Amino acid sequence: MMQLEIAGCCLSNTAMNDLEKADFGKLKTVQTQDAEAVDFTVFDCFDQSLRQSHRLLIETGDTLELFMADGQVLKQVARRAGNFVVDLSDGPVKQALSDLSALRSLLPVGSGELRHETLTLFDDVEKVQCRAQLRFLTTTDGGMLLVALQGLRGYGKALSQLGKTLESVGAIALGEVDVYTQLFPQHPRYRAKPEIAISPDMAAFDAANDIIAAYIPVARANESGITADHDTAFLHDYRIALRKIRAVLSLFKGIYGSEQTDDLKSRFSALMAVTGRVRDLDVYLLEQQKYYDLLPQSLHAGLDTLFNHLASERAEMLAKLSDHLRSKSYDEEFARLVKLFGSRKKLTRGPNADLSAKAYAGVLIWKRYRKVCEIASAIDADTTDTEVHTLRIHCKKLRYLMEFFAPLFPQEQINSLLKPLKRLQDNLGLFNDYAVQQDSLSILLSQFNEPSHTGVLAMAQSIGALIAILHRRQMEERIRALDSFVKFDSPQTRKMFRKLFKGD
Amino acid sequence: MKIIACYSNKGGVGKTAASVNLAYAFAQAGKRTLLCDLDPQGASSFYFRVKPSRKLADTAFFEDVGKFTKSIRGSDYDNLDILPANLGFRDFDVFLSRMRNKRSRLKTALQRVKADYDVILLDCPPNISILSENVFRSADAILVPVIPTTLSQRTFDQLAAFFKEHDLPVKKLHGFFSMVQKVKALHVDTMAEMTGTHNRRLMKAQIPFASDIERMGLLRAPVMATAPSSTASKAYWALHCEIQERMKTT
Repeated sequence: MMQLEIAGCCLSNTAMNDLEKADFGKLKTVQTQDAEAVDFTVFDCFDQSLRQSHRLLIETGDTLELFMADGQVLKQVARRAGNFVVDLSDGPVKQALSDLSALRSLLPVGSGELRHETLTLFDDVEKVQCRAQLRFLTTTDGGMLLVALQGLRGYGKALSQLGKTLESVGAIALGEVDVYTQLFPQHPRYRAKPEIAISPDMAAFDAANDIIAAYIPVARANESGITADHDTAFLHDYRIALRKIRAVLSLFKGIYGSEQTDDLKSRFSALMAVTGRVRDLDVYLLEQQKYYDLLPQSLHAGLDTLFNHLASERAEMLAKLSDHLRSKSYDEEFARLVKLFGSRKKLTRGPNADLSAKAYAGVLIWKRYRKVCEIASAIDADTTDTEVHTLRIHCKKLRYLMEFFAPLFPQEQINSLLKPLKRLQDNLGLFNDYAVQQDSLSILLSQFNEPSHTGVLAMAQSIGALIAILHRRQMEERIRALDSFVKFDSPQTRKMFRKLFKGD
Repeated sequence: MKIIACYSNKGGVGKTAASVNLAYAFAQAGKRTLLCDLDPQGASSFYFRVKPSRKLADTAFFEDVGKFTKSIRGSDYDNLDILPANLGFRDFDVFLSRMRNKRSRLKTALQRVKADYDVILLDCPPNISILSENVFRSADAILVPVIPTTLSQRTFDQLAAFFKEHDLPVKKLHGFFSMVQKVKALHVDTMAEMTGTHNRRLMKAQIPFASDIERMGLLRAPVMATAPSSTASKAYWALHCEIQERMKTT
């Protein structure tokens, strides 16, 4: 038997009775329990990328099994060096997970008990014609039956017969069902970008409240992952959620009373500020390999000193941040904000609060776009870095606004505008990162005022070399950014902006 | 990919039992294995409960690659497929040469249906005069079961002579003693004598005369699957290991 056709599907636990009663004509069936029941654990990234792509990753004993949306079942040893995909042993499962973010670790979603049985179809001379591996998964609040069909070459009829029977007793392809709801009904959904229903006629005030109220839980959902230090994406998502909230507060002018706007801005800024240093250090450490690749071997010893220093600083800063996130005052502050945007009774209405969302969106986006064009029109080879930074900030604000209000406009048209804008922003972002990294390396260097100290001289040399390289990269990125802007600033784009947001 | 032919110009020497168990052993060792039942009696298919394919009598058969791949049947065991064919010898030549040719339509078709094999084991019909020399040329190894009796000894001598006459590589010839009964003085004496004459052409592993092997006809499964810890199964496994080792060096 060469396992040429393996198709997976799932059934409710009760459908098994129907399957046992099914008629297979001339073929006989036998069902055997293969081994003692074992414990299983389901793994996924925190962003639920496996759940969203209808894949199920199960660990039992020393085996990892991956059920794909199209019915394939892949298997490999579970032994691994860490929790990221890159840490898995080489094998088909690792290969099939290569689309997952390299920054996300695989975390246990839940566990239960797995019983393994085989259903075999025989002919009149007891020749096996088809098999189905039955995996009965039982959890505290749910359960399901995963079926993997195994066809034998030359016995296609038996395979399709079993397939049809399974369908008739209610089997569903994994691609069409959310198995997580069946196994772990209590496990909450997580979306870093929540879907927010904004309608054209709703008041701008309500739109702003809805956006903020949707991002608060996203931030909070990441807290435990930050303190547990599973991966750096928790803090990243946490910060993005807060940044979106701050963007609403600063970009949606006149929605709340000015005093309250200032108060909210400063409170969310304060929440964000304590996370800044850890994120900066995360970025350095994630880029570690790149730095080593940039510098010759002779300067690597200096980098070792540098990164050891950064790693210990990160550990220290993360411990502080974790204490903060676990503190009573932090919890109370967030609880107050949740309540404020939950009941909304204590939110004061500003002069623009009652404008319709669509009219308001048009005004804001059009104004921001005009601003971007104004700066851009003055850009040439002599433009200072400061002006490029200003352009970056305005582009970023423009993009946030367009993303917030995207549901109010035709999706295709919005996307055609967002795509070149995103490319431009990527260039501007890199330009900025290189500038920031040079600055902070310089600051770091100035902190070591005892050059005689062991290793510091070597580190200083390495940092010097890095700064030189980063500067060159920044200049290169600047050229690319300006080039991307020219591409973004096309006559069609201008026309489209005018049509969508100015309304003429 | 290795092609191994199991051949004997004398019937009833345990050739099919060896083919069936060796194919099983290779598959168990993780090699994707195809056992071709070329013996008109279709005995190796019988042992795997695979019904003979009627379509294969068609002479135009090998022109139609699709039909060929369709006639392969999965055995009950991992990594092991059966070709339950009674091929004509002309077709058989074509089959071998196409399996050898990486770009042949047959090879491509097999790859397409994920049936690209690591080992192809041929259970050959017992007739040297008609069977083309090409089988001997194409195969990486020709396994010859020999019952340690005077008559079998002569048959093996003849085969070795045939190889020399036709300028075939004698090194590919791998004899092994089959249905060995060590209580019989004749068996012991013949083995000693043949080892003296043929030395390196004979393998060390020996298959004993065993009731477990005879019962294969009743159980319709390789003895290695039904009685894995029996003396016979251990002997077949040892034979498989020795062949693997010998093919590495040639």
